[in-house]
Amino acid sequence: MLKRPLALIAALLLILLLSWSLRPRAASDVSRTALIMGTLVEIKGVGLDDKDMEGAISDAFDAMRREEARFSTRIETSQISAINRAITAIEVDPEVLAVLQLGQRISRQSEGAFHPGLGRLLKLWNFEAVSPRVPALSEVNALLPALIGEPVAISGSAVKRLNPDLQLDLGGIAKGYAVDRALAVLRAAGIESASVNAGGDIGLLGGHAERPWKIGIQHPRKTGQLLATLELRDRAVVTSGDYERFFLQDGMRYHHVFDPRTGFPARACQSVSVVTATVAEADALATAAFVLGPIKGLALLERLPDVEGLIVSATGEVEVTSGLKDQIRWR
Amino acid sequence: MISSADEQLEQIRQRVFMALFIALAVGLHTLEALLPNPLPWFRVGLANILALTALSIYGLKGMWVLSLSRIFIGSLLIGNLFGPGFLLSFCGGVGACLLMSAGALLLKRGIGLVGLSLLGATGHVCGQLLIASLVVVQHQSIWLLLPAFLFFALISGVINGLAADLLVDYLLKHPAFCDCRKGFGRHHVEG
Amino acid sequence: MALGSLLARMTRTDRWLVLLLMLAAFASLWFVLGRSVGRSLLVYAGDTLAFTAPLDQDRQIELHGPLGDTLIEVVAGKVRVISSPCSRKICIGMGAIQRSGDLLACVPNRVVIRIEGEGGEYDLLSR
Repeated sequence: MLKRPLALIAALLLILLLSWSLRPRAASDVSRTALIMGTLVEIKGVGLDDKDMEGAISDAFDAMRREEARFSTRIETSQISAINRAITAIEVDPEVLAVLQLGQRISRQSEGAFHPGLGRLLKLWNFEAVSPRVPALSEVNALLPALIGEPVAISGSAVKRLNPDLQLDLGGIAKGYAVDRALAVLRAAGIESASVNAGGDIGLLGGHAERPWKIGIQHPRKTGQLLATLELRDRAVVTSGDYERFFLQDGMRYHHVFDPRTGFPARACQSVSVVTATVAEADALATAAFVLGPIKGLALLERLPDVEGLIVSATGEVEVTSGLKDQIRWR
Repeated sequence: MISSADEQLEQIRQRVFMALFIALAVGLHTLEALLPNPLPWFRVGLANILALTALSIYGLKGMWVLSLSRIFIGSLLIGNLFGPGFLLSFCGGVGACLLMSAGALLLKRGIGLVGLSLLGATGHVCGQLLIASLVVVQHQSIWLLLPAFLFFALISGVINGLAADLLVDYLLKHPAFCDCRKGFGRHHVEG
Repeated sequence: MALGSLLARMTRTDRWLVLLLMLAAFASLWFVLGRSVGRSLLVYAGDTLAFTAPLDQDRQIELHGPLGDTLIEVVAGKVRVISSPCSRKICIGMGAIQRSGDLLACVPNRVVIRIEGEGGEYDLLSR
């Protein structure tokens, strides 16, 4: 009588163990990080076997480094540095042309709230310094006239600055473009689900295996807490916030999103998140909407096709574009 | 093969009762789907009482026929045939039948209806979790529910087993089953 | 009906099975509870993995980068940078991270800290 139950116990335990060991694992993620464009880039891939994935991810990092070499203002040999030095028109790569055209377009669409030529202003404020200071008002004002009107003239593949006092700095939009390139490399390698996160500029390829990617939106005032989560596939998400890089002086918060019309940090928002098809565009639009403020910013995001977003105003009210209302989950 | 009139009558009687059992099981299946459900997939598995009855009276084949018919017809009634909910009940049902068959074959007469019911409840839970993690949710965190499900299977298994045992005893008093011996239960333990 | 008569309906094998299932349930509970805290900390120096550790043990980690030593502290499942040779100390200002997928980095000193494991609320954080 005792023998059989024991045999059954063994059999059941075996079944339990088997079912445990055979439990389906979430297709394993391969995550790699690299420091590119002065920020931390993390690429996650799901699917392919690990070795192929490693190869694809390192190719994607290489693609981003190539864009860094084209766009960085810190690299003397970059094409942006070349444009910034040249007095006459110079020939540039189609990649640079594409990003400049995107920058000019967003600049027009946002009536100058986004500006690709803030190089001098950024240098004046110098957020890279050990202890940044608010520059003199006269110094800021001296830079503003160069920011009025179109920054560059493009004819064919040649680019020329329209004002000698203007210095291009494609910062975030170039970073976003590099993420888009990395995604293209991953897609070409046959990867169906991957994510690239360059310091908060997020580009998604497919979903996270079969389900969508879950993107947490940082709460602009409560560190470490989420404002909301979004479930997305094949989208780009970029958040511009006043909490990421800032310094305090005389009780005022000075952050790194500047209003090209005043030369000072924009004050109307705490954060703006934009969801659209490409990371470059999402980055530019997040900056533009941040500068425009909750009302005009929301109107801009609503007006553009295939663009959604979420705006937290300076007073903490949250506005969401109509297309995003059903997809967002509040925390 | 030529069968006598008595045998034909017996066959018809078996079929009629099988149909009645299936109808009852479908009723219970539907009732359970209608009951308010605080946690998704926590099912008492009342229909399993009929599966145990069929196993006891008609053997393994009867149980499989009853369970599969119950799931298909029940899902058709609820309106989730071939949906995720159906997939869950189907795999739960198959898991239950598999474990009950194994128990009935391996332990033969030592096991009672309560034991079989426990195996069925466990198989139900494992089948559901397996298909849920593979197809429906596709996330291994679903296995975090395993302990809760197993405890639930323990309770519902014992209750269903006792209910089935009572039902079978009751049915065996009916003239239609006077020829049947109880296949699984205490009557055969001490023998 | 008396409980005794109900109990009498269970064979000895049945009772063994009850015991067994109870055991299996407790075992799986133990298994699950043991697993859910199994998150780990990954520290990269530049692009290479320098160090991994379970998150549930408190410790301090000193990591050598191009600028000097970065000191990382793990306390109660939270990771923070407590001293860094970099100029702006953004990494210290970022505070503590504790969720799966969270990242903490000192870009100048090329130190990256990541938490890996199941159970995150999100895959990626937009900030």
